[in-house]
Parts: sequence; C-alpha cells; structure tokens
Amino acid sequence: MKNKTTLPWVFLTPAMVVLAVLALVPTVCAIVISFEDRELSRPDGNFVGFDNYLALFSDRRFVNAITVSLSWEVITVGFTMLIAVGLGILLFECVSPRTRNILAVLFIVPVILPRVSAAFVWKFAFHPLYGIATYPYKAITGQPLDLLSNPLTALGTVALVDVWQWGLFFSVIVLKLLETLPPQPFEAARLDHARAWEVYAYVALPMLKAPLISLAFVKMIESLRAFDLIYVMTRGGPGISTETLDMYAFSQGFIESGRISYASGMAVLMMIATSIAFTVIWKRAKI
Amino acid sequence: MKDLKALVSSIAIACALASSASSIAAAAQCTDTIRVIAQPRDGLTLLENYKDEFAKLSGGADFQIDYLNENDRRAKTKADASTIGKYNVYYIDEANVALFAKSGWVAPLTDYYPADYDYADFDPGRQKVATYDGKVWFAPLTGGGDLMVYRKDLLEAAGIKPPTTLDEYIAAVRALHQPDKGIYGTALRGQRGSGANVWRWMPYFKGFGGNWFEGDKPVFDGDAAVKATETYLEIFKYSAPGSQTGGWDEAVGAFTSGQVALLIESTPLVGMALDPKSSQVADKIGYLPPPTPLTGGGYGHGLAIGTKANKTEEAKQCAGLFIAWATSKENEQRRLEEGQFSELNRTSVMTSPKFAELYGPDLGKALADTGKVTAVNFWQNASWPDLGDRWGIILEELITGTRTDIKEGLDELNGFATDLVARSQ
Repeated sequence: MKNKTTLPWVFLTPAMVVLAVLALVPTVCAIVISFEDRELSRPDGNFVGFDNYLALFSDRRFVNAITVSLSWEVITVGFTMLIAVGLGILLFECVSPRTRNILAVLFIVPVILPRVSAAFVWKFAFHPLYGIATYPYKAITGQPLDLLSNPLTALGTVALVDVWQWGLFFSVIVLKLLETLPPQPFEAARLDHARAWEVYAYVALPMLKAPLISLAFVKMIESLRAFDLIYVMTRGGPGISTETLDMYAFSQGFIESGRISYASGMAVLMMIATSIAFTVIWKRAKI
Repeated sequence: MKDLKALVSSIAIACALASSASSIAAAAQCTDTIRVIAQPRDGLTLLENYKDEFAKLSGGADFQIDYLNENDRRAKTKADASTIGKYNVYYIDEANVALFAKSGWVAPLTDYYPADYDYADFDPGRQKVATYDGKVWFAPLTGGGDLMVYRKDLLEAAGIKPPTTLDEYIAAVRALHQPDKGIYGTALRGQRGSGANVWRWMPYFKGFGGNWFEGDKPVFDGDAAVKATETYLEIFKYSAPGSQTGGWDEAVGAFTSGQVALLIESTPLVGMALDPKSSQVADKIGYLPPPTPLTGGGYGHGLAIGTKANKTEEAKQCAGLFIAWATSKENEQRRLEEGQFSELNRTSVMTSPKFAELYGPDLGKALADTGKVTAVNFWQNASWPDLGDRWGIILEELITGTRTDIKEGLDELNGFATDLVARSQ
C-alpha cells in the first residue's frame, strides 16, 4: 500500500524539480525585479514598491497594448476556429478520401514553417510595390495597397498570417476528428430529413465539443506568443496600433529604455491576468 | 593585365600583413574563437574569406560573426552586454557609444589597438563620433554624412535643375511625383527608431535651428521641432509606398529599383546606387550635398571590445587585434577592390588613386562638400537611444495618421525627457 502512494512521487519529483528551476526561478525573479527600479544600464536597483504597477496604468501605451492584445486573441482564435471547422467540414463533405490526404499534407505545411520565416515571406508578399498579394489590387486600380502601414488594416493583415498558419492545420485536425465519428447518428439525422448544415450543427459539432474546446484553448495559448510574427511584420507599428503586451514589454526592457523592472511589472500582470482568465474560461467551458 | 595587378596587390597586402604580424604576434597569442555580433556588412562578409590570415596573425585564433539587422543588433548587443556578455566584440554606433562606454560594457579601444594599424588614419569625422568622454571606443566600419542623390534623366526631362535649397527640393519632389507612372517624388524613413525615422527627421530639426538640451534641461519642444515635423510630414505625401513604416532598406530599395526621383540618405547610398549589381539606375544618377539648410547626419558604426567576455588583459588584446586587423588598411584596400564603397573609412584609401579611378572626381568633390554640412544631430548622451526611440514612435504615429497633433506629441516627449534626466541622475 505504501509503495502505491510513494511511486507517483518518485516519478513526479525529477519533473517538478526541472519545472521549478526552469519556471519558478525566473517567475520569482520577475516578481522581485518588478518591485525595483532596475535598468539595464545600471547594475543596482532600489525597492520602489508598487510604483511600476501604478505607473503602468497611466501609461497610454500599456492601456493600448491591453486593447491590442485582446483584439489579437479574439481575431486570431475566432477566425482560426471558424476556418478550421468550415474547411474541415468542407473537406469531409466534398472531397474524396485520397484527395483529402493530399490536401491534409499541404495544409500542414504552413504551420511547419518557422514563424519568423513565414512572417518575412508574407511581409514581402504584402509590400505595396513588389508584393504578390497586393499586385492584383495595384493592377486593377493602379494604386499601391499598403496594408501594413495602415493602422486600420495592419493588425488584421498580421492576423491573416497567423490564421493561415493555424487555421489550415486545425482544419486537418477537425477533418480527422470527423472521420472518427460513428456514421449512425449522421444516417439517423438524414433519415429525419435533416439538411447538411443541420447534420453538422446539431449532430457532428456537439459530438466534437470537447476536442474543439481543447483546440480553442491551444490556440488561445499560442496566440499569446505571437511576438515573433508581429515583431517581424510591423514591430508594433504603424505607431502603436499592433503593439501587444509582450511586444511592449520587450520594447521597454530591451529595445528602447532598458527598463527591465517596468517590463517585469507588465510580465507579472500578464501572468496574473492570463492565469485568471484561463481558469475562469476552462471552468465555464464544462467539457 | 588585371590578373597581374591583382597578383601585385595581393603580394603587397600579404607583405604588409606579414610585417605587422611579426610585431603583433609578440603582443598577443590568441587561440580561442572571438565571438562578434554585428549587422550585415559586405566588408565583414569579405573578412570571412581570410580567416586563415587572421589565424596566422593571431597565433591560431578563429572568429565567428553573428549578424542581425540594425534595430535587432542594437537590442541584442544591449541585452548581451548588460547581462551575460558572451560576445568579445560588439558592433556599436554613434547612437549608443555613450551608453556602452558609460555603462562600462566596452573597453577604451586605443589601449588595445596595436599602434602599427594606425588609428589616426581613419576619417576625422568618424573618429569624432567614435569618441566619448575623451576616449576612443570603436574602430569605424562605415560612416559619413548625407548626400542628395537624384535621377538626372527625370530632372532633365522635367526641366528641373538639381535643387540646392530646401524650397527647391520640395518643389522638385512635388513636380516629379507621378504615382500613376510608378515614380515617386522621394522616399523617407517612417519606421520608428532613433536610427530610423528620427535620423532622417533630425536634419530638418537642426537645419531649422533646433537643439535638444541645454545642460540637463530639454529645449527641443519649440518652433524648430514643430516646423521640422510639419515639413517632414508634408514631404511624406510624396514618399514611396512602403516607406511609411520602412527604414533605410525600403527607401534605398525604392530608389535603386528606379521608382524614386530624389533621395536624401546616408552616404553609402551612393555606392549602392552606382553599382549595376544592386541598382537599375546606376547610369542615371547625380549627387549633391543635402539642400540648405539641412544638415547632414554625421554617423559612424564600428567594432568595440566587450568587457564581460574579455575578462583578462590578454583577451582584450586579442579582441583589439581582431578589430585592428578587420579595420586595417589592407582589408580596407580589399573592400575598395571589391567595390564596397560604403565600407571605406580610411583617409589613405579614400584619397588613393584607385579610389579616384573607380569613382571619379565628382564623387570625391560631393563627399568633400557634404563633409562641410555634416553635423552631430543627435543628443550625445547615454540616454539618447531612449529619447530618440520614444520620439521615433510618436513620429511614426504622426506619419501614419494615428496621431495628428504635433505639439501634443512634442509635449509628451518633453515630459518623457524630463523624467529620463531625473532617472539617470
């Protein structure tokens, strides 16, 4: 009996030690530094209490970054899931199994590309003078189309690249999930004269609720780490219209000011906010 | 004949290096790999072909160069130098030399730069920007001021004389702006950054009589800055697409691909615009100093000795030897022969017969003339990158229209500058 209770600890302890070193130490350091006034150019720092946190809420760029980050999450998660489900059903419904497999391989390619490479490829594709993606508009209207320099379209354009990478990949997962479902509920629904969209809306998707919510969570976490994509494509610009929280924290810590305490304050707030938000959403989801 | 010349020059370089090697080798025996962080430069890539030469000179040392573009290089060097310090040699520039020197992240260069390599031969303007607090901190890899480069064919077709004043320049830019024909009046830099949009804006600010600080008091928030910004935004109406959030690459790329009529940019532009390999308009360009009252943005980039990775005197000497070799007359001569105009920094090379033969007397005169209006436009202080980058973001907002009130932007910068000075004391 004793062996039964101690064995899990034997296996868990090494993993927990590694986790503690890799995750806990930097987290605690970030929290401690956020209560100081450390800068990269100075070796020492003084304890300043909550000054960094208070300063953040009167910083227009921080407030803007919260809005941009939330918009980014909603746009990328929403559209990725929409594309994934729509395309997954389309493949399942209209394409032969052999063609499906070929398309599945093609759809996985974007997500295999390193983010930075994808960002550079698309940045060039969106170039107003030489870009292949903007060429049709230029050919038709005679005017260049500068999507990444326009504050109204820049975030959406970067999000398009994110959705291109993840939406196609998730559509393959949705397709494979649909293929695993038993055919009987579908046949029963059709016998009851359900239309195609009704079969999916009321039968297939409810059966896939748990994996779809899991996919949405994976995407939510992944979208929080979109730094590399945004950094390469817009650097947070034009102005601050695509400056997310991680982008702004990095900018304050390493690009502009070297204010690592201020940046750590942002990182700590992000950690708290995401932990609370994810816990609440996870519990509400009731998988 | 060409082969014979190449052979002779190669023998001369080898002899020169061999003679300096004998005296240097006694000073330092280096066997480790020297780690360098830099931004891409043709001159540095060329060095990699001569690794054996450096190994022989140093007693067996190798070198490894990691390349990052300008903004990333600045962020990475700052992060590395202030934390782990794994690089022996940093690529620094006029904008952050004060920060690196004041923070003790780099060592005084001339203490470790062998005398045989003749530091005094570098262009005096570049020596000036490499100096902070009376000491020299880097050996130049590139530098200079600004030149106005224009399309002779377009100006002649429109009957416009090359502009020499700002009013003439703006009139020419307006007249030559024909987007429907794929020709844009000019190309500015819109991308945020003290070395990006702010760099191109500063000649207007200084040209209109602006000044950053008087002592510790910020004094930039005045008429000169407002007028400079208004003028910059006005000219931006005629700037090539992509430049609103673009930097040097986008501006120069638009010009060399034949889509821009007039361009004021840092002097290396001329080398790229004249090179048929990188320019579609190589045979159609003329150059002049920037129109008055614009000042040229004096700048210099170069290699400095890191202090954290080079803990011992011997290590610093090895890094110093690498920098001296990398920036030596012999290597600069190689760059000249490869047509790397923007990588030339030594007076002896730029006044050599070979230089005149390759680039003609006009460019020499234009460079000499622009030297007279070249100035240090930025605030020479360790906090300059902070201030410049903050203004860069506000300026980018103004350029892209997410902010419209220039004075409000300058007031915000003024508040930031006051806080910056208080924090740095």
